[in-house]
Amino acid sequence: MDILVVLEDNHGSLHRMSKEAVAGAQKMGGTVTALAIGGNAEALAGELSDIDLTEVITVNHRLVSSYNADGYSEVVKQVIESESYLSIVAGHTYQTRDYMPRLSAKRGIPFIPDIISFDADGFVKQVLNAKLNAIVSTSVETFILSFQSAAFSDEDLIPGSCASRPFEVNLDASMVRSETEEPFQEDAGDVDLESAELIISIGRGIEKEENIPMVFELAEALGAEVSASRPVVDSGWIESFRQVGSSGQTVAPKLYFSLGISGAIQHVVGMKGSKNILSINKDPDAPIFEIGDYAVVGDLLEIIPKLIEALQTEKNS
Amino acid sequence: MIEREALELDILFVGAGPASLAGAVHLKRLLRESGQDASVGILEKAVEVGAHSLSGAIVDPRALRELFLDKNDQDFPFEAEVSEEHLYYLTDNKKIPFPFIPPSMNHHGCFVASLGKLTRWLSEICENEDIDIFCGFAGTELIYDEDRVIGVRTGDRGIDKNGAQKPQFEPGADIYAKIVVLGEGTRGSLTKKLIHKHNLMDGRNPQVWALGVKELWQMPAGTVQSGYVAHSMGFPLGHDIFGGAFLYGMKNDIWNLGLVVGLDYKNPGVDSHHEFQNLKTHPWIRSKLEGGKVIAYGAKSLPEGGWYSIPKLSVNGAMLIGDSAGFLNGQRLKGIHLAMKSGMLAAETISIALSENNFTEIKLGDYEDRMKSSWIKDELLKVRNFHQGFDHGLFGGLTNAGIGLLTAGRGWGFKDRLTSEAGHLQMEKGLKKDRYKDLQFDGTYLFDKVTDIYHSATSHEEDQIPHLHVNEPDICITKCAEEYGNPCENFCPADVYEMVPDGENQRLQINFSNCVHCKTCDIMDPYQIIDWVPPEGGGGPTWINL
Amino acid sequence: MKIAVLIKQVPGSESPLPLNSTQTWVDEAQVTYTMNPPDNYALEEALLIKEKVGDGEVVLVSLGPERVKKVIREGLAKGADRGIHLEEDSQIETDPLSIARSFASVLQDENFDLILTGLQSDDTGMGQTGVLIGEFLEMTTATLVVETKILNGQIRIKRELESGWFQWVKLPLPSSISIQSGLNTPRYPSLKGIMGAKKKEIRVISASEHQSATRAQAIDQVFVPQTTKKTEVIEGNADTVVARIVEILKYDVKVL
Repeated sequence: MDILVVLEDNHGSLHRMSKEAVAGAQKMGGTVTALAIGGNAEALAGELSDIDLTEVITVNHRLVSSYNADGYSEVVKQVIESESYLSIVAGHTYQTRDYMPRLSAKRGIPFIPDIISFDADGFVKQVLNAKLNAIVSTSVETFILSFQSAAFSDEDLIPGSCASRPFEVNLDASMVRSETEEPFQEDAGDVDLESAELIISIGRGIEKEENIPMVFELAEALGAEVSASRPVVDSGWIESFRQVGSSGQTVAPKLYFSLGISGAIQHVVGMKGSKNILSINKDPDAPIFEIGDYAVVGDLLEIIPKLIEALQTEKNS
Repeated sequence: MIEREALELDILFVGAGPASLAGAVHLKRLLRESGQDASVGILEKAVEVGAHSLSGAIVDPRALRELFLDKNDQDFPFEAEVSEEHLYYLTDNKKIPFPFIPPSMNHHGCFVASLGKLTRWLSEICENEDIDIFCGFAGTELIYDEDRVIGVRTGDRGIDKNGAQKPQFEPGADIYAKIVVLGEGTRGSLTKKLIHKHNLMDGRNPQVWALGVKELWQMPAGTVQSGYVAHSMGFPLGHDIFGGAFLYGMKNDIWNLGLVVGLDYKNPGVDSHHEFQNLKTHPWIRSKLEGGKVIAYGAKSLPEGGWYSIPKLSVNGAMLIGDSAGFLNGQRLKGIHLAMKSGMLAAETISIALSENNFTEIKLGDYEDRMKSSWIKDELLKVRNFHQGFDHGLFGGLTNAGIGLLTAGRGWGFKDRLTSEAGHLQMEKGLKKDRYKDLQFDGTYLFDKVTDIYHSATSHEEDQIPHLHVNEPDICITKCAEEYGNPCENFCPADVYEMVPDGENQRLQINFSNCVHCKTCDIMDPYQIIDWVPPEGGGGPTWINL
Repeated sequence: MKIAVLIKQVPGSESPLPLNSTQTWVDEAQVTYTMNPPDNYALEEALLIKEKVGDGEVVLVSLGPERVKKVIREGLAKGADRGIHLEEDSQIETDPLSIARSFASVLQDENFDLILTGLQSDDTGMGQTGVLIGEFLEMTTATLVVETKILNGQIRIKRELESGWFQWVKLPLPSSISIQSGLNTPRYPSLKGIMGAKKKEIRVISASEHQSATRAQAIDQVFVPQTTKKTEVIEGNADTVVARIVEILKYDVKVL
């Protein structure tokens, strides 16, 4: 199977999810080629020069120097028409969601999105708000796939070497109908828990409002966001937009670090999809330990200050 | 001046339960037959019909057959005809079958059903009859023109917890109607106001109530016989608390298990949810649930007073039907057929009232006359003293009931009417609250309230004023704490009321978002300072087949 | 301004989800349905745009069995003008291309200025329908839109990017846009709206008229995800515990 991985530029460097997509593609069997589009294409290709790929194709045309759906979908279409790849793979980013369906419709090839794994039976996708998994299969030879964040790991990239090759596309201004402006950042009003990689979450076990600033200190030391279970929000100790659970937000970060949360089902449904769950609780029978990867039985009020210190030391060393 | 939406209808039912739905369908039909038409609407506070409906239930098909002469029993949305029935006395580890099942407790010819399914089915028929059902709208106030009810005002939407208007604020609407029919179900909030304002309980026994708590269990394929019916008494309630358990087999291998607890117990520490969990420790019940998974939880109160607790049923411009009027047969544990029949009888009166353009109390009193010459009276008269006998404990109650079978309902064989006292007055001060010290929640078969609440699929708009109005909250921290030990923490099956530390003292925290609209707090609070009012429309449980 | 809003009826978030006998989907008879919550935001945005522009029509389009008429009526009760029901034959459609072709075949003759969809459906969550239709009908497209401004013959949209970044894009109409949830506050239907919904038109298109013969992808099976988790218990005095935590953060979870 000849696979083409379409790379994404993340503010000047190769998007982590593109690396993960390459790693996933390498597991599919067959040759893997990458495609970099945009003003930064050469640099992105350079980031993969020590990875086992056939090559990295670069497309740098003024009409796609920065992302737009019309241009990108047309570029990928032209690349796969000329080189006949069988599957097109990318990370399931907002950008992929924006233009891959365009490619799917242009070529009449199915787009199977947000895959978490695959095997001989097919591709696994979460459905019904991740309450069930589905095995999706396709009856055609050529298809598009996108992989969910952390479905594969950039640590598993098979090293090797590859060169880049520029590709000429045929684009004219009438094909690109949008006028895009520069992306910009907005003041974070509410915290975006849903896309946070690391979350520290506070439960009743924190005991007093006075103990909360210490958690924020720990969060800063780790570069994490802070969330909380319902009772803490109800007591008025923290803002309601930080609530995780059935009547709050649902999160699935790389690390969910809970402090003094018992694990009532209303809370658990909001975070059980987290990739790693580390919990501190005084009660060895706390239900949260059942879904956790790491169960720390202890007094969080003693542990947190020491942990903050230890992290400082780590940083300085 | 707030600009409210104003709507004019001919007839407005409040509450899309079996009484209103049957009443509305019957009314439309009667009007058609007499060459009339009228606009008929039903207000429903839940987000959809059936979401707040909870019962056992075993339905006597009598009313449905009368309403739908062209349908067969197979057309009705029942689970199964009762195929097998049992009546047991339970000790903590044994079950002793009653030697025979008295005819009135026998459910032969009746059907196991889900009230949620039944109301949804009825609502579809309503849609085809051009009856408008307004879901997500709570009736919060009656509109009067002097002493005549002329409509209902619905609750505001989009008010935050401090009483300020949110961006999506919408004032409640005023719906004017020639007749307002209150079918709000148990302890209706508008009904409570109507009864109070017009003294509709004068000369009657105070209403007494019970609380039903239930769970649905999904069992492995082929393990549940739909149509199976069992009732029990004894464990876990003992002899001093009215009530008993039920176990019904539903379709799709679902067990429908519940416990009814009389809300006239003496010990303020009684917690119906915990009693229900205790029930599941009985080896017989536990064996039934083996390998199963709980899929739903709910609770709702029931009016148990019977015939002499039924209020006067109409005033100028308004009528009471269904559970709001107390039409429940406590002995047979059935009320759905009575609710439907009451709605149908009300419809007959309404049809005449419309044709004569007369909506006075006297004209609407025709409904009460019809009721008194219908099988509603026949049935309820025979059991008119049922609940009252249990004031003397389990054996007293059973004896009274037994004698009642032979004397067409006389109390103790000779008294036409036994009196009773409101349940909240029967709570005694200072009783010990260690009834549940051995109860352990394992999370697989026995659940704490917080976990059960998750299975009740209940949610409310968080940013609103709590809909449980405690009129004198100081009493909670002072008098009540001392005299009764804050029984609200026990009688509420949804963990709404919590006494939490507040510095050195305590304060009452109201987790209103958990409320399942059972009305127990309004009924049982010993000082009667709790007023249950409807929360913002659409909030509450989203029960499917309870 | 003619706006189509594509709405889907999906299992409610509180609904039980028992599997059907072939384990290819849920047993629909035991599921309760609701309007796909993201579509509610799309509908609200459409109603707001119509109000701002001052005239036009909001048309609801939904694919599914008879029961989807309920969500169409809900949308009509909120203020949409009419509905189109594309009938779905036997089982749930899961091939996005096929679904999009069905919609496109009906939408193309009406010449909509705007097609709005929710960002994805809460059931299969393929998140493509709006963009696929846009391509089939040669419209411009955009996704995860958090703000819309109608200009003359154009729409200016603010797209959400990851990590708190945003981008404005100007597109010529006609355009197919997917709407990010939370950008507006969906209105409640009024009593008169509920009453009036009964009288609004819902055009029905039978399956044979719109369904395509081919499917390029399918859901072969659904199952409950199994979590095989091994929990490491960490005990001891605070120093021991902290040391182990730092190790975990550094070497196992790799966040340091």
